[in-house]
Amino acid sequence: MDIGTLSLLILIGIFVLLVAGVPLGFATGLLGAVVIYFNFGLPGLGLVMQRVYDLAITYAIIAVPLFIVMASLLERSGIARDMYDALNLALGRLRGGLAIVTTVMAVVMAAMSGIIGGEIVLLGLVALPQMLRLGYDRNLAIGTICAGGSLGTMIPPSVVLIVYGLITETSITALFTAAFVPGLMLAGCYIVYIVVRTRLNPALAPLQTDFGEGSASAGAGHVAGEFALNAGPFAIGLAAALGANTYGFNATEQVAWFIFTSAVVGMVLVYSLRNSEAWPIAKGLLPPLIVVDLVLGSIYGGVTGITEAAAMGVVATFILIVIRREAGLRMVLESLEQTFRAVGTILWVTFGATVLAGAYSLSGGNDYVAGAILGMDVAPIGIILLMMLVFLILGMFMDWIGIVLLTMPVFIPIVKQLGYDPIWFGILFSLNMQVAFLTPPFGSAAFYLKSVTPPEIDLVVIYRSFGPFICLQLFVLALVLFFPEIALFPVG
Amino acid sequence: MTAESGEQGPGTGYLRRVWQWIVEAPDNEVVTIVDRIVTLLSRVAMFLTAVIVVIIFYEVVMRYVFFSPTLWVNELSLWLGSMIFLIAGMYTMQRRGHIRVTAVYDIVPRKVQIAFDFIAMLVVVAYAFLMIVAAWPVALDTLLRWERFGTYWNPPVPATVKPLVLFVTAVVAVQAVNNFIIDSLLGHRRPEPDRPDT
Repeated sequence: MDIGTLSLLILIGIFVLLVAGVPLGFATGLLGAVVIYFNFGLPGLGLVMQRVYDLAITYAIIAVPLFIVMASLLERSGIARDMYDALNLALGRLRGGLAIVTTVMAVVMAAMSGIIGGEIVLLGLVALPQMLRLGYDRNLAIGTICAGGSLGTMIPPSVVLIVYGLITETSITALFTAAFVPGLMLAGCYIVYIVVRTRLNPALAPLQTDFGEGSASAGAGHVAGEFALNAGPFAIGLAAALGANTYGFNATEQVAWFIFTSAVVGMVLVYSLRNSEAWPIAKGLLPPLIVVDLVLGSIYGGVTGITEAAAMGVVATFILIVIRREAGLRMVLESLEQTFRAVGTILWVTFGATVLAGAYSLSGGNDYVAGAILGMDVAPIGIILLMMLVFLILGMFMDWIGIVLLTMPVFIPIVKQLGYDPIWFGILFSLNMQVAFLTPPFGSAAFYLKSVTPPEIDLVVIYRSFGPFICLQLFVLALVLFFPEIALFPVG
Repeated sequence: MTAESGEQGPGTGYLRRVWQWIVEAPDNEVVTIVDRIVTLLSRVAMFLTAVIVVIIFYEVVMRYVFFSPTLWVNELSLWLGSMIFLIAGMYTMQRRGHIRVTAVYDIVPRKVQIAFDFIAMLVVVAYAFLMIVAAWPVALDTLLRWERFGTYWNPPVPATVKPLVLFVTAVVAVQAVNNFIIDSLLGHRRPEPDRPDT
């Protein structure tokens, strides 16, 4: 059978099976097996098991369950709640303060874990009732939570980038490095939007007036203290680790140096702030920042690989939970169970897709598509734009995992042949998935939030609030698209 | 604060509670022997994630504090990881949690849904059949030769994981048939999970 017909049949096959509600992993797996059988006969079918086996014994994927365990533990602890209270003390009195607090909290949580589900649910439980109680505009509140929560898969560590890195054989650490600036830009855009919107129309966000007795006056001091704690130890520790990297320290010296500098700066800050008004803020922010510092610091400092950093993050989170006297058997069991479910869902789609991708590429499909697309009389950037469009459309109907697995084996060879950097393309993909989380009819962020909102907030209400945030995401996407340096300058 | 379940009295040992949790029946309306076996195996395998965390932590401590990295942590976590990834697939099937697109499924009449369910079941069974028919001699061979990983520590990864791929895929197919009979033919539809897992 010629490859053009085969490609068409595969597309029709996937479409028909997906419409019938066949689980994605098995639909692609079966199509892959059938393609192999027709092209290479029974002996070739051994490839099906081989592909699954090869993927199952990949070291880097172990980071996926580890980051999910970490997120599940955080979700069940009071760490996030305390962080919210602390940020609220620092920023809550500003116009639109609660929405800004929600975004900042989303960023810190995103830097701790790589998935979005738990994050949106947590924000929905912690931040949404507060904003609604205060009379915030419902659309602004919902949009902030879902857009902010989606950052979980944009700001490193990110499961989306891990899977992308595995499928396309790009360095996951480089992807994490490149994702940082665009992720923060996205968060920055949300905050600017909130500030501008609420200044123009103060009715959207009434001021908070009912701070308790214990909370001191809000002011520059608080904000400064909060920012110092936020950025201080982390930035200096990280800079020191990177510096050590440049000055030819070996890994052990680097980790020691990194921990030493972070600890010293942290202790100085704790000591100087302990009796100040900023201490309640510091107390709530320190635990999460320690975890962020540990995980991202060891990845960026080149100290450990991603899997090891993830395991260290789990240990650190668990120790924090024990210190807070929140640890319990039920919590651990539930976290392990939730992780197991999530892993089964993600990995089995991956298994099926790797079979189909292998079958298709062995049959010459990738070359065929690449030839067809490269043969078109379109500028290279036009082809990239076309791919973005494909992501956006698929994103309305499918989960990110299905999209990455179905499209990347075909797209990545083309991207490389056009001379573009697959790391940059990964960041673009990740930004597209930010949009995908919000676009109806199957934006998963809406489903996560719906599971914890009061009944009067239905899916229609939720989707209606996403508009401005989707525009901001597309804006950042366009920036990274036309100025690749935004993502690539730290990678070098 | 974690709410401890009220079923056990105070003073019940941790191990006993873990055991109770492992043998606990799934919360489906109708529970078959297949559901029980899959749930039991999965609840045991869930602890492997914790094991991986512990051994990687041990490795990092050994490497950076005692300057004597281990030889086995990497390979053992890889090995345990593969077991998690595979067994989790059966659990997800038992929980009816595999990702699918329900845009059309949700709006067609029940009879058409049952037809769709039948197609889905056939797809799973056919996939498992094609994989197993072709690969079982290979898997059996690696098992009998006790094929190892070819590294210094040399764990029997191929000898165990390749047969496991086939075993798990077969169980997933059986579970799919089970689900079709219970959910679609007998009409005990489990409500969709309240939120996606990823």
